[in-house]
Amino acid sequence: MTAVTLPTTGGSVRASARTVSRQRAIRRFKLVLMTPLIALFLGLLTPVLLLQLYFSFHEWTVYLGSWWDAEFVGFDMFANVFTDPRFGWAIVRSLAFAAGSTIGCFLFGFLLAYLMYRPFRGQAIYYIIFILPMLTVPVVVAYTAEMLLYRNGPINDLISVLTGTNFQVAWLSNPHLALATVALLEIWNWTPFSFIILLAGLAAIPKEPIEAAEILGASKWQIFWHVQLPLLRPVILLALILRFLEAMAEFPKTWALFQGGPGTATETLPIYIFITTWQYFQISKGAAMSYVVMVMMVGIVLFAIHMLRREKRSLDVMYGTAAGNLE
Amino acid sequence: MTMTKSRRRRATTIIRYAVLSIWAVIAFFPIYWMVSTSFKPSTQWFSWPPIYFPDPPTLSNYMNVWLGAEEYDQAQYAISSQKPLISMWNSTVIATTSTFLSVLFGSMLAYGVSRYRILSEARMFQLLMLRMIPPIVVVAPLSLYYSALGLLDTRIGLILVYFLTTLPYAVWMTKSFIDEVPREIEQAAEILGASRWRIIFEIILPLIRSGLVATFLFILILTWSEYLLALIITKTQVSTLPIELSKYQGSTEGRVYGRQAALAVGITVPLMIVGLVIRKHLARGFSFGMVRR
Repeated sequence: MTAVTLPTTGGSVRASARTVSRQRAIRRFKLVLMTPLIALFLGLLTPVLLLQLYFSFHEWTVYLGSWWDAEFVGFDMFANVFTDPRFGWAIVRSLAFAAGSTIGCFLFGFLLAYLMYRPFRGQAIYYIIFILPMLTVPVVVAYTAEMLLYRNGPINDLISVLTGTNFQVAWLSNPHLALATVALLEIWNWTPFSFIILLAGLAAIPKEPIEAAEILGASKWQIFWHVQLPLLRPVILLALILRFLEAMAEFPKTWALFQGGPGTATETLPIYIFITTWQYFQISKGAAMSYVVMVMMVGIVLFAIHMLRREKRSLDVMYGTAAGNLE
Repeated sequence: MTMTKSRRRRATTIIRYAVLSIWAVIAFFPIYWMVSTSFKPSTQWFSWPPIYFPDPPTLSNYMNVWLGAEEYDQAQYAISSQKPLISMWNSTVIATTSTFLSVLFGSMLAYGVSRYRILSEARMFQLLMLRMIPPIVVVAPLSLYYSALGLLDTRIGLILVYFLTTLPYAVWMTKSFIDEVPREIEQAAEILGASRWRIIFEIILPLIRSGLVATFLFILILTWSEYLLALIITKTQVSTLPIELSKYQGSTEGRVYGRQAALAVGITVPLMIVGLVIRKHLARGFSFGMVRR
């Protein structure tokens, strides 16, 4: 190869020339592997982010002609966003929704996983039923909820029959309940996710420490609290973090069912950005808002990644040394 | 002593089955309701008291929605008869193509990460940001960018975005399978003179076949049910099934639950089949190497 351009003399250098050419080949190989990712970053992601930056500093709406002639307004758009109480409320709603549904998914998922991680009769069939909600398209969840939750609908009817009362909750039209209704749907939809990874985590805990604790006379509660829970921490963290981030981005159910209403009761961040951009056509305000949300989410995600990496490293150490000891 | 212990064990067994059964009902009832409504004649779509079993069950909703069997009355004029089948085709093409690209290039990347460390561990985690930042924050500039490129309302446009957003999952999941392949095999192949590309395509990828299938189906679930990006990027020419279903809301004031349900069942059934096929691999797809065995 082109490695001959190097000043070479003698046999030992031929070997090193071969190494050099081999290294070049490897570098080229790596570059080819990276190409699709680099292409997507440069061709798709970067222009989109730059455009968004442009719009957050230039005032433009669809009524104003060519967007590239838009007027530069400095930080006006951001000032507009930060003084908008609707934006503040959207943040509050999003955080409340994400926190509530994350905790709900975790508690139910953990309960089910704890009851199921040891083999028992019927385990397979329960597992199949439990993952079904996750395999239902979110939009379908929204429309099915509409069929189930209207005032004289089957859910209220079933609860009335079971409790012997006249249960008539306005799940869909009461503004104080609407966000909670979406959170319940989110919990129904995604508890399987928490369940699946917690189940896998519980099943993967090595038996030895539990057996050792039993021999030492620990109660079931002590084993759970002092042995299983600490060993499960990485998986618990993963279940919470991923669910929280996904819930912050929840759009299809909220939109298909409520479009932010009744009033502004379900106006979370994704919904408010959507309304600003696609109904009010305030592209620039939407872009500035998106930027604020993106920075906020990048902060949250970096923190989450920091935590996950720390857990993963401790796992690598734990399993690495365990394997080393066996050999 | 042994009496009380066995009695306690029986009590825990009963509690376990009770709790699991209650949740099974909660998990299953909405799905049952969707399926049963899809077989109900229009008088039973929302009646008081609610009707739990279609009586008599009818296929007319399916005929209407999927085959356009009946002339549409005023309320459904906006939903043209053959649309759902076209959307089904769109969804199939878009989901399978983007997933295929994602798994193909994702697994090559994953091989590079596993064997040549082309991405550090930190970069691998940063890759996840593509998935963790809510897509709503980029959809407006994306749609303008796409309209400038002429990609708005095209299949290719949607395929490219899905390719990008599912790539992190593809890389992480296939890497977990590639990590399990012993290096000795590749070293032997290299000594025998196989090129790096042949090692990937003729040794590694065939060896992790079942893992690739699992990854493919896992990502198919995500692309099949995606809503927001499809809502923004597709307008009239290309609509996917979730978008088709959401049109029922805008265009029909009267509630046509039976037809919605028949469409919803058609969207959901393929997904459930796929999900149940790979049910044992779901944990791996979601857990980014945090669950060890």
